[in-house]
Amino acid sequence: MKTLVMIMAGGASEDLSVLTADRAEAAIPFGGKFRIIDFPLSNTVNSGLYRVALLTQYMPRSLNDHVGVGKPWDLDRSQGGVRLLQPYIGRGHSGWQRGTADAVRRNMDFVEEQRIDNVLILAGDHIYKMDYRPMLRFHQQTQAAVTVAVRRVSPFETHRFGIVSVDSDMRVTGFKEKPRRSKETLASMGIYVFDFHALREILQDESLNDFGRDVLPAIINHRKVYAYTFEGYWADVGTLQAYWEANMSLLAETPALDLYDPQWVIHTRSEEQPPVQIGSDAWVGGNLLSNGCIIHGIVERSVLSPGVRVAPGAIVRDSVIMNDTVINANAKIERAIVDKEVWVGEGAEIGYGVDNVPNRRHPERLNTGLTVIGKRARIPAGIKIGHNVIINPNINETHLQTDFIASGETI
Amino acid sequence: MKTLAILMAGGAGTRLTVLSDKRAKPAVPFAGKYRIIDFTLSNCVNSGIYDIAVLTQYRPHSLNAHIGIGKPWDLDRQRGGVVLRQPYQGSSADLDWYRGTADAVFRNLDFIQENQPDLVLILSGDHIYKMDYRPMLEYHQTKGADLTVGVMNVPLEETDRFGIMTVNRNMRVTEFTEKPKERDKGTLASMGIYVFTTEVLIRRLSEGGPESPRIDFGKDVIPSMIAEDRVYAYPFEGYWVDVGTIQSFWETNLALTRPNGSDLLNLHDPNWVIHTRSEERPPVKLGPQAQVANSLISNGCVIRGRVENSVLSPGVYVSPGAIVRESVIINDTWIGPGAVIDRAIVDENAVIGAGTFVGYGDDNTPNHQMPDRLNTGITVVGAGAHIPSGLVIGRNVLIHSERLESDFPAGVTEIASGETV
Repeated sequence: MKTLVMIMAGGASEDLSVLTADRAEAAIPFGGKFRIIDFPLSNTVNSGLYRVALLTQYMPRSLNDHVGVGKPWDLDRSQGGVRLLQPYIGRGHSGWQRGTADAVRRNMDFVEEQRIDNVLILAGDHIYKMDYRPMLRFHQQTQAAVTVAVRRVSPFETHRFGIVSVDSDMRVTGFKEKPRRSKETLASMGIYVFDFHALREILQDESLNDFGRDVLPAIINHRKVYAYTFEGYWADVGTLQAYWEANMSLLAETPALDLYDPQWVIHTRSEEQPPVQIGSDAWVGGNLLSNGCIIHGIVERSVLSPGVRVAPGAIVRDSVIMNDTVINANAKIERAIVDKEVWVGEGAEIGYGVDNVPNRRHPERLNTGLTVIGKRARIPAGIKIGHNVIINPNINETHLQTDFIASGETI
Repeated sequence: MKTLAILMAGGAGTRLTVLSDKRAKPAVPFAGKYRIIDFTLSNCVNSGIYDIAVLTQYRPHSLNAHIGIGKPWDLDRQRGGVVLRQPYQGSSADLDWYRGTADAVFRNLDFIQENQPDLVLILSGDHIYKMDYRPMLEYHQTKGADLTVGVMNVPLEETDRFGIMTVNRNMRVTEFTEKPKERDKGTLASMGIYVFTTEVLIRRLSEGGPESPRIDFGKDVIPSMIAEDRVYAYPFEGYWVDVGTIQSFWETNLALTRPNGSDLLNLHDPNWVIHTRSEERPPVKLGPQAQVANSLISNGCVIRGRVENSVLSPGVYVSPGAIVRESVIINDTWIGPGAVIDRAIVDENAVIGAGTFVGYGDDNTPNHQMPDRLNTGITVVGAGAHIPSGLVIGRNVLIHSERLESDFPAGVTEIASGETV
């Protein structure tokens, strides 16, 4: 059985605000030194699958740099390996992609060249550890045209997912996209195994652009579609709150997602950085700290990516701080997501005060008190920034000539 | 100018006791995630030298696995790159093993000739320093030298530990004295770094015979060249250490944890990255009660106890209530709940039982079996040793590698300073 893995990494993910201002969601740092894409990519090679295509569209440069020829995942191979597929113009199915199914259709010539039996479709923006082999075996045994991975969700959350109904043999009998209320609680994870021939036939119908929204409802009545239940940790980090929570959950004593499992290593492209250096007055209980960090201040319940500097007297709490951000003396950061290479001036406070005014421009995205700082922003010394604030990338002192930014603002 | 670098990585490093039991000295872990040879190898590629031969002899497996085809240093190249050269049979009529540094190079003359470099840079694989070799190579050209020796100033009272170069005012070497007792030879110590013009190197090494041995560069080759060839000294200013003893290995590691540690050796310099083969490990995880001060902690460590003034390699686990002070802990060692480790070096994969004290008390009796190597109060635990729970171990104690709990005398709760297990 030969399987081609196609990872969907093209979405714009606007809910992630400044984190996806200049990178695809799949390329966002996660858990300190990783990026979100590392999880599906590592799952793939750990499952013994070495034929991978990564479909990009939105802001792919960061992802291209990260994946490269696939060395960290041993995907730099002469047979198979990883291929990055970008949208292109030309005859036939060219142009921008209108959805996941459309993205595969536009690369069907590539898929056909692979001479494979199955196509495994994955989302590039989920955090989970999964061996795909049992699912592929299940697909084989049921002789299904399509197998959908599903997991049980709380009945209060069904509105966030595609919900499937199954019969006693796990054959899918119904599908509802994001129902308000549902008796069924099996949610699709956006992971599909397609029989290659079935996939080719299905995609000939050009009105089907999205696997969840269009393809599944259109085929369950006349093709064998089965559901495969996955039990284990799985997080869609497509919102700022979910992203922050998933990072924070790694700090638990026995986290639901074990990054320390030698049997299931999550591979990533690591910069060469020295060990974490911790100074004499540092206080570092309850954190994840990556190589290259230099900590002289207080860091509590936070996840720090490589190369973050925390100066003496600075305080970081309940925050996610990405690569090479510099936090100067006596600055204070609480409940914030700070992107790469941000400079926080002396005594600046991020996440200041106790009010919780939702973000005025995007109240639906930012309303839980998190403040988000975009890449390479320079936060002037002594400034106080409230909650639910968005500071866009590359903002500097000239844009911030004030000493107070109230909760809910966007700069 | 084509330069071939030859790294001497064959030494046994016996003064490092159990640390070099199963690995060559250049392969001994240093500063958490690195190995000693990473510094010299990274210096080479950072200096733009991509033709490198590593000469091994003693326990090369760990080194072979570490260097591999040289990926981390971008030495996996179509032309040039790194080659590991082992001793082989048939290279000499009487003895196949290398007898010294010059002999090792002599046995690889065919390799040098094939590469046709203009200069041969001879380096030692067991020193910790950051050095751009390019100015030294230029200096060699400008002086029109046959041999240039890297030297550094050492305090006058320490000259008896080094090979001392006496120079005239043009920096031409007029005399070389190995570990001089008198203090009148100057303070320029050889660093074991040599630039040879290739044809001179080949000629000099080929002249060797029973009456004029060419076994060691320091002992044989350089002294005989001073009178006849143009030998110059190149002064290097900067941090340089030979971590050849337990004391200097421990001291040099701990120096990096001090507030001025990065002034001595800045590992964070983006313009001079020290490359190594990193295992894929997650970030350091610190439990809610973890307390860490003045330490270097590598990826993959999980700290739930207290760590002070220590250097931890990847994957070390410090249980709740355990204390690690002024120690060097190498990969994947497990430190049990309530254990205390004080002034110790613990090699990889060791298991320290719950409540065990390693490095206890004020009794500084030197090690009975190796009084010359273990006498400064440092206790050394070998790789894979399993130390039972509740034991109290004194200072200058040596626990050999792979010792199991059953190897410890039954019913004994204390191992006095100076003992060996």
